[in-house]
Amino acid sequence: MNKKNTLTLISIIAFIVLLFILNINLGIYQMRIFNLCGIYVILALSLNLINGFVGLFSLGHAGFMAVGAYTCALLTMSREMKEMNFFLEPIVPWLKNVQVPFPLALIVAGIMAAIAGALIGAPVLRLRDDYLAIATLGFSEIIRVIFTNTQSITNGALGIKGLPSIGITGKTWEVVIWTWGIALLTIIVMVLLINSSYGRAFKAIREDEIAAEAMGINLFKHKMMAFIIGSFFAGIGGALLGHLIGTIDPRMFFIVLTFNIVLIVVLGGIGSITGSVISAVVVTIAMEVLRVLDGDIIIGGYMIKGIPGMRMVVFSVLLMMVILFYQRGLMGTKEFSWDWILNRKKKTVKS
Amino acid sequence: MRKLSLLLVFVIVISIFAVGCVEKVEAPKGDSGAEKDEVIKIGVFQPLTGANAAGGALEKEGVELAHELYPEVLGKKVELIFVDNKSDKIESANAATRLINKDKVSLIIGSWGSGFSIAAGEEIKKAERKVPAIGASCTNPLVTKGNDYYFRVCFIDPFQGNVMANYAYNEVGAKKVAFIIEKTNDYAVGLAKFFEDTFKELTGDDKAVVYEAFYNTGDQDFTAQLTSIKESGAEAIFAPGNFTESALIMKQAKELGIELPILGGDTWETPEVIKIAGDAAEGVVFSTFFDAHAKLTDTTTEFLDAYKEKYDKEPAAVTALAFDAYILALDAIERADSTDPTAIRDAIAATKDFPGAAGVVTLDENGDAVKSAVIKTVKDGKFTYLTTVDPAK
Repeated sequence: MNKKNTLTLISIIAFIVLLFILNINLGIYQMRIFNLCGIYVILALSLNLINGFVGLFSLGHAGFMAVGAYTCALLTMSREMKEMNFFLEPIVPWLKNVQVPFPLALIVAGIMAAIAGALIGAPVLRLRDDYLAIATLGFSEIIRVIFTNTQSITNGALGIKGLPSIGITGKTWEVVIWTWGIALLTIIVMVLLINSSYGRAFKAIREDEIAAEAMGINLFKHKMMAFIIGSFFAGIGGALLGHLIGTIDPRMFFIVLTFNIVLIVVLGGIGSITGSVISAVVVTIAMEVLRVLDGDIIIGGYMIKGIPGMRMVVFSVLLMMVILFYQRGLMGTKEFSWDWILNRKKKTVKS
Repeated sequence: MRKLSLLLVFVIVISIFAVGCVEKVEAPKGDSGAEKDEVIKIGVFQPLTGANAAGGALEKEGVELAHELYPEVLGKKVELIFVDNKSDKIESANAATRLINKDKVSLIIGSWGSGFSIAAGEEIKKAERKVPAIGASCTNPLVTKGNDYYFRVCFIDPFQGNVMANYAYNEVGAKKVAFIIEKTNDYAVGLAKFFEDTFKELTGDDKAVVYEAFYNTGDQDFTAQLTSIKESGAEAIFAPGNFTESALIMKQAKELGIELPILGGDTWETPEVIKIAGDAAEGVVFSTFFDAHAKLTDTTTEFLDAYKEKYDKEPAAVTALAFDAYILALDAIERADSTDPTAIRDAIAATKDFPGAAGVVTLDENGDAVKSAVIKTVKDGKFTYLTTVDPAK
């Protein structure tokens, strides 16, 4: 094993230890934001694979998340909970008595989202650029409208509440292991994928489709592959999100949700795994930290009266500043690598 | 250089914002540690930004007004902590967790929008330190169902649907009705379902609902649905939904020459309905929580006077409900004689015949208010009080 791999392994173990330390020391509120960070990392990476590495501008993420969230919710909820939720129109009998453990439900959620991705991808991926964006956006809306109207399966606009907590035991300490555990897994899968021959093909498609095709890359196959893997992780992210909040309804999966994730990806750098991870964490934490601005702030006997929405103004200004100074996002297409750190070290030693 | 100057512009804009709202305040007196114990914190989470900001602002007015009138309880100052939920479920859950675990509030009020309240309710259920919450205008039955810590001062959709079905049968004399429902809205779907159940029971006719049409939030054209309703033989139209779409329905119904009475729910009580629908709004009937002219309790008068003085306009029903949520909270804290959230929760659950601005509140075993509904109509371009319907005892 070479030096770099050892370093990677050590840092992964260090991170897991850190998770346990944070779990003990942080309050429920801080832990919750931290969990949300993990989920956004999964979502941002899955979108970055489609948008950043293959260069397909897809806006259908909220739809796949909805598929995942609903699948997982309906599979894990107890019979009594379902009966309580479906008070307007009873739930279809074949779903009523189903209850499977959380890990299985999570995988099924991912697979269902991947199937949805495959069904949508097959006709849509023949389009390019803006047309693709519009078509995926449309499909994501279609998914939402279907969920609104299938009252006996999804409870329609009323939504579902009482989703069990993330994990097998239902304890709070388990949540972070799932969210960040899966986030870590997603990062590893993405890194391996991007550095494989498939990853190089993806990047070739992004740079020039015609040249890539001339080199013998099967465009459709690779695009479909990225789209399906992306939607698989989107489904898992959506399922985790639903279970973290404990309630879902179709309105939650509006286009706004997709834009939040697009924002994270663009801010981090389209086509950078490191960037997506950093910006998912930064954006999620910043939104909460900036809450201070909504309230009254007292500085030296003067009170700045709080305006609701002030944090959004500041947040937008910060965003504009980042885009002004880092036009390709925080990381551009660069990635974190041990070489970079080791070289830096050498340089400082030399000087 | 250009970037720097842009940066400078941003900084200036932000400073102007900040300076615009600077107020001189007196430096906090005395020992801040001792003072902290003297404050009772009440958290209010509302959609103050985003799509539902208008609704959140109305409720905020009500809570603030009540706080001005009653700033103290048990000899301690009440501190309101407002948090924004951005009209978003994820943010609602964050906001609720923050209020419970970071701000350590004794009680939570909110939120406009049932979905946001449900998200917060799930957080309260999961939290180790459980805090009671009082909703003002969230009418979805799921908000309080299976949650011992969530209460509300408004009646729920089943009751409202029931009231309108009775009105359609007894006052309008309709034997057959048609629905046009905003399918994407939990409130509209619930109302329609309970209207249908009651109406079928009243008429004894399983086919009393002759036509059911649906639309999505944001739709503009309803002529297809309305034409079908016109030919369906209905004697009244029940159209629960968002006010903008509903107003367009009224307008287009008139243009199509449909003379049937149109019935709806409490969302219609906004000036926009009359503004958009104009003449077509004349004669529409809807149920709501409260009316300035139906003096329900003494608190109603107090609320109306205070509101008029502060804002100089007619209050919305949700403002009155938010006002009620706050004074009910204070009343419960007083009855519990403690700031312990569990004691407050028990006191709220025991609420009986509490005189609020929007009617007398008695909470049932689910934590839902059992109270009278007011039926209103539009006459000469104004909302006019018709009658009050008491809950079935």
